[in-house]
Amino acid sequence: MNLDWLDAFLLQGVFQVVMVMGLALLLHLQMGLARIANFGVVGFWGLGAYSFAVLFVKVDWSLGAPWPFLISMAFGTVVAGLAGLLVGWLIADLETEGVLVGTLGFATSIWILAVTEQDLTGGALGMGGLRFPFDIGKTKANELLWFGILFAVVALIFLYVFRVHRSPYGRLLIAVGENEPLAGSLGKPTFRTKLWLFAVGSAGMGLLGAIHGVMAHLLLPESIGINVTLAAMVGLVLGGMARVWGAVIGVILAVGLFDVVVQSYLPLPRSWYTQAIPVLREMVFGGTLIVVLIIQPLGLLGDMRRDKLMRRIHRD
Amino acid sequence: MEFVTESLVIGLTQYAPLILSAMGLALIYRLTGLINVAYAETITLGAYIGMWINTTFGIGFYATLLPTGVAAGLLSVVTYLAIFRPAKQRGAGVLEMIIISFGLSIFLRHGLQFVFGYPVRFYKVPRPDVVRVFDVGVTTFRLMALVSVVVLALLLYWFVQRSRLGLQIRALASDEDLAQVSGIRPLFVTVLIWFIAGAAGGLAGSFWGVGSNVAPLLGWRQFLFIFLVVMVGGAKNIGGVIIVGAVTGVALAAMTLQFGQVLYAQLALIVGFVVFMKLRARRTVGAGKV
Amino acid sequence: MTKDCAPALLSCPQILVKDATKSFSGRVVVDVKELLLGERPIEGLIGPNGAGKTTLMRMIMHSTPLDGGTIELFQTGEHEDSSVLLSALPTHQMAQLGVVKSNQVIMDFGKLTIWDSLLLACAEARFERPHRILSERSVYSRHEEEIRAWLDFFPFVDPTGFAQSAGEKKLLDIVRCLLLKPRFLLLDEPTAGLPDELTAKVMQAIKRLSEGGTTVVIVEHDLSLIWDVCERVNFMAEGQVLLQGDPEEIRKHSTVIEKYLGKGHVAG
Repeated sequence: MNLDWLDAFLLQGVFQVVMVMGLALLLHLQMGLARIANFGVVGFWGLGAYSFAVLFVKVDWSLGAPWPFLISMAFGTVVAGLAGLLVGWLIADLETEGVLVGTLGFATSIWILAVTEQDLTGGALGMGGLRFPFDIGKTKANELLWFGILFAVVALIFLYVFRVHRSPYGRLLIAVGENEPLAGSLGKPTFRTKLWLFAVGSAGMGLLGAIHGVMAHLLLPESIGINVTLAAMVGLVLGGMARVWGAVIGVILAVGLFDVVVQSYLPLPRSWYTQAIPVLREMVFGGTLIVVLIIQPLGLLGDMRRDKLMRRIHRD
Repeated sequence: MEFVTESLVIGLTQYAPLILSAMGLALIYRLTGLINVAYAETITLGAYIGMWINTTFGIGFYATLLPTGVAAGLLSVVTYLAIFRPAKQRGAGVLEMIIISFGLSIFLRHGLQFVFGYPVRFYKVPRPDVVRVFDVGVTTFRLMALVSVVVLALLLYWFVQRSRLGLQIRALASDEDLAQVSGIRPLFVTVLIWFIAGAAGGLAGSFWGVGSNVAPLLGWRQFLFIFLVVMVGGAKNIGGVIIVGAVTGVALAAMTLQFGQVLYAQLALIVGFVVFMKLRARRTVGAGKV
Repeated sequence: MTKDCAPALLSCPQILVKDATKSFSGRVVVDVKELLLGERPIEGLIGPNGAGKTTLMRMIMHSTPLDGGTIELFQTGEHEDSSVLLSALPTHQMAQLGVVKSNQVIMDFGKLTIWDSLLLACAEARFERPHRILSERSVYSRHEEEIRAWLDFFPFVDPTGFAQSAGEKKLLDIVRCLLLKPRFLLLDEPTAGLPDELTAKVMQAIKRLSEGGTTVVIVEHDLSLIWDVCERVNFMAEGQVLLQGDPEEIRKHSTVIEKYLGKGHVAG
């Protein structure tokens, strides 16, 4: 297959957009519905990536391909999910500030471990040895196929979140987000609900992290910084925290603008791309959060239209 | 024991700015209930402004402190008037306010690079003398930082707990409507608080900056620990924050000496404080709303 | 213990509050030595504002922790039976035991429609798990009938939409409680903010509920309702239970009541 038309940067950019979309969808459940201020998204993402990498690279596998790969992927997901369970347990009965410091602390802890545990993670020099579980030709072809897999995973996440809105579980999450004490008085175990929501969301983030790791071929502590959390948050807030499609639209606009349009289509001087553009990207993201939340807190798509949804699904 | 004195001296001198900035953050938190993530940038910009005054006008470090404090205080007031106050007036909830402050933090952290440049900057100061305190070597900068912090902490403590204005602040913090009826002007008092908090942060940033370098991440690197100190030190009174800040500094120094790696000390602190918060939350059960 | 509930059924549940105290900022808000709720199927709890009635109810629901004392639930109204220590349980287990409370202040889920709220109240825990993303149909078909019955009984402008007024939100709160099939129902000023016809309907529903073996305790300021519907009245003031008895006996203590509630409440 001739993929000369496919610009490598474009593929990277689109890959990033879809990746952040997956994170934003999971964040939508946690922050948009249940109102849990998860500022540690990158922590679970990074933990998934590094756990996958450590198991895949450091273990002397006796099994043949693709088992080491698949088991390592599952491992990354599960470890992130368990971390989500632990962090969730710590933060679920704290106020919003407590959740902020707890999740931020968790993400920082993961970064610290990535740097200090050099024997495992390669420290600041990074962890290599990650490669695709297949080889269908040139690099671009492999990357395209891997992108297809990411796309499938994110599509499944979207489908899950879509269905959650139309299920009793979704209703419970909204209730917990809107008025937790009231939900408790109706007999709902709100602590447990938030705990498991956190665990499931974190597992998803871990899986996405592992998928990223494979694409990147090299894991560096500097890539598991707050910027990843920021990108997911900006996309979600811009599109609309309360809407499923908010995560999709917002991320396409925000991350797509920089990682696809500016990166591949705007004829800007090359030198700008080393420092100016990345710094500008973060600055614009930060500004977007401020402007959107002051002017139109529910984002471009506004509030969830629960009445329309309920009438549609219970049409009789 | 040598270990104890070393931890005490290093802890208090190295982390004096931590105590100072925790006081500033706690002031805003106590008054508004808001954790201002952009406070990290007040610290960073304090360092940048101080460095800029120092390198542009050739003024010595200590002489930059006053203009830096004032500038950082004004900057803090501007962020309140331009962003946080309008947001509150438009009905932003707790979660939204935190995200807004996060956005502002990111905006400032990267925006400043277009003003001051991308590379790391430095104060232009002569090498500081090393003083021996209890047989532990400490630079004069750090010693002065500790002295300044002690002075400022006492001033702030007296101001908030004992002065008439401080009484007004505390009244405003607990009940805004009642305070207004009692003749306290909320806007004036609030602006004053943001100014003081900003000045404290800016000064802390200066001390941090002169001791090492001035970089965009200066404040953000410290923010988590400042935040933890404020959360554990309690929103109840300034004294708690000062004590917890001091203990934290000493503990961090001690653990760094023990583990040989400051990151491990930080990790232990994060875990310890978060677990403490969880256990404390458990004991104060429900909010009693239903 | 006399049992005055419908003879053919189990006796009504009772709640015993013992030595329960609660202080806020040094001020004692509740100080109840001994209070047995549920001797009669419908009881009233009256008293001036600030008497501690709502706080006491919140302590029963354990949404406000007790500074001291205990609160026990006797599920079949017999002291000898095993009791449940409510003051040791988290709030969300109250509903599972059949102990339910409505809210004095308006409490609502802003983003949920009326049908949503009611389905939420009815939905069994096993359908509300992260993996049950196809369970909406089941929950709906299980509970459609009983929800419709209440929607027919109580007029909401648009049940497929949101609660439109404070009155509707108050009513919604009560219907949510009713759908939980409570065995012990605490109503905190249920009729405040409701027009008279709705008040009558709420009282009707309450009477029906108590005939089915549920104990109901009503906090009310509209004393005419209390005299009309309650078989036993408890009077609280300054955190303490000062008077207990049937309406006739309570009304005899006109001086005490007037001291706290003003004239005009005791006669007719």
